[in-house]
Amino acid sequence: MSSQARMVLALVLSFVFFIAYEYFMVPQKSPYTAQTKEINQTNSSTNVAAPVHTSAATAAPQDASVAATQQAPVVVKAHEVITVVNGKKFRAEIDTLGRIAKYEVLIERFKDKDGNYPNVVSDKYALKPLEIRFSDAALNTEAFDVAYKADSAALSVIEGNEVLTLTQKLSTTTVTKKITFHNDGSYKLNVSLTQDIPYFISPGFRPDQKADMYAFKGALIRKAEGNIEKISDGDAVGNEVFHGANIASANDRYYTTSFYDFDNSMSVFISKDVEENPLVFIKGSTNLTTNGYIGAKEFDTMKAIDPRLTDVIEYGFFTFLAKPVFLLLKYIHSIVGNWGWAIIIITLLIRLVLYPLTFKGMVSMNKLKALSPKIKELQKQHKGDPQKMNAKMMELYKKHGANPMGGCLPMIMQIPVFFSIYRVLLNAVELKHAPWTGWIHDLAVMDPYYVLPVLMGASMFWQQRITPTNFTDPMQEKIMKFLPLIFTFFFVTFPAGLTLYWFINNLFSVAQQYYVNSIFAKQDKVKAEVS
Amino acid sequence: MKRPILIFLKIYQKFFTLIGYGSCRYYPTCSEYAKWQFEENSFFKALYHSTKRILTCNQLFDGGIDYPIVKKNLNCNRVCACNKDKKLFFVKFYLVPHDRLLAQSFLQGSDRSEYLSQKKGLGKKSNNTYYLIKSFKKENID
Repeated sequence: MSSQARMVLALVLSFVFFIAYEYFMVPQKSPYTAQTKEINQTNSSTNVAAPVHTSAATAAPQDASVAATQQAPVVVKAHEVITVVNGKKFRAEIDTLGRIAKYEVLIERFKDKDGNYPNVVSDKYALKPLEIRFSDAALNTEAFDVAYKADSAALSVIEGNEVLTLTQKLSTTTVTKKITFHNDGSYKLNVSLTQDIPYFISPGFRPDQKADMYAFKGALIRKAEGNIEKISDGDAVGNEVFHGANIASANDRYYTTSFYDFDNSMSVFISKDVEENPLVFIKGSTNLTTNGYIGAKEFDTMKAIDPRLTDVIEYGFFTFLAKPVFLLLKYIHSIVGNWGWAIIIITLLIRLVLYPLTFKGMVSMNKLKALSPKIKELQKQHKGDPQKMNAKMMELYKKHGANPMGGCLPMIMQIPVFFSIYRVLLNAVELKHAPWTGWIHDLAVMDPYYVLPVLMGASMFWQQRITPTNFTDPMQEKIMKFLPLIFTFFFVTFPAGLTLYWFINNLFSVAQQYYVNSIFAKQDKVKAEVS
Repeated sequence: MKRPILIFLKIYQKFFTLIGYGSCRYYPTCSEYAKWQFEENSFFKALYHSTKRILTCNQLFDGGIDYPIVKKNLNCNRVCACNKDKKLFFVKFYLVPHDRLLAQSFLQGSDRSEYLSQKKGLGKKSNNTYYLIKSFKKENID
């Protein structure tokens, strides 16, 4: 196969790959009927058993009782709403099982296409925030039958906080839940039982607003020392215990529902549902006090509650770098007020830091222009042996004290920076629906008109044209020529912000090259005048 | 542990190196250097030298020709044993004694037979350390 044919084949294959990827991997919006069917299915097959105790003291009886509940799953009925809580930035509904059945975040920016506010409590999954499950099977069944009573049917949280008290009278005990709602999305929870009966309480199933394969979804636990444990959807093994935790949370891409207690550590129990998604619980006591946060993973909001709570915002493998990138980006945003311009400024800053290095490279590149006849000769001489030619070339560089190559380190360093910006664009709720200018209304999704990818490809082509290179392998030279085209297709589905970063990065390279060229042109002129 | 790294390096050289093609300041390139290291050196030594190489591959350092240096206890019996039954075998690496003069004479284009004969004479002096130089041509030696 000729190299051209191979090239075309590679292009076609990569294009097919992206179309297939879009089609199969990105979840499509399911029609309404299909969705309701799914809800019925999950509900009927849901078991509401408490997680299994693994501690030695209680192991045997607990296991038996859980096995019993699993044989006879309790069918979850639709539950009436007994209290509506209205806050400045949220609207919550409490159902007859004393759970948060709905929690809408009332922030204009987060509205969906149809103008609805996002509901952080998943409709699809049965486990709701503040749901209690008893280890005792009979009591558990009873608890899912007996309705809670609320001390008020409507609550307005205008200034400060408001307390809602919910009570459930069971045959052996009375459960009292006191929830103190705050306007920032946090709440304080106090659960008291009249009898010491083992139970578990959940921050709820993870939100289901933006649950796709691009970002982490599932349970995240922060241990007292600051270590993070993550269990992704579909990876839960069931019956995992984390003692000494201070955050127990369930997350999708942008939202979280968490319990946190930084004064007294919690024991977190993770069980699993039929799809092996993690279900988060903390162990209860006769008088349990903890805190919760439910809503968007906004950095400033969470930091105001407790700086440690921001650990719930995670960016995957490159978190250690993505977090500082986000903070810098946020700082620039606070000055310029637009995330798109903030990305451009951060690109400029990275360029400035690397400037001394790249400048040195460009200077030696220009020095070598005088040597080009010698290089051509070498290329001719060792045509069939690129290895030997490369070695000879290196010798030549050494002899003239000029090495034009940029080096592997600056190149490799680009990779984590690139991925960090990618993760920040994907994961940071602050960048959701963040506009840049003109046609870019959302930097976190692809450019709908393909303008940025094309500009990116064009700028890359331009950069290649003006950068002096010497190729030792004609095949590689051909591939390099096609690279801007390949990258254009590659970047089509990437978030617009990332394409913007790469485009601006190329533009700066071009500008820098022209600048260096002009300096040398001037120097040559001066030399010519002197002689 | 070495295998996955070598596989990764192979994939890297095939695909990812295109992004920054022709940017390495050394010969052999960093990825090639790492490959040789992991093929012929112990794991931790290879890791150390490869990391060091990548960290120095920037404009603050000169670059140039830099071959891996390995310690080999060349037992003549072992080397010769391969060729006992006079079969052909491929050359994978040349070992050039870690001796400045000799290495220079090699790089300045003295041919292989010359180098091999020189190697015989100087082998004992060079303290068992060698430059590792890969043979890219599939050459048979009989």
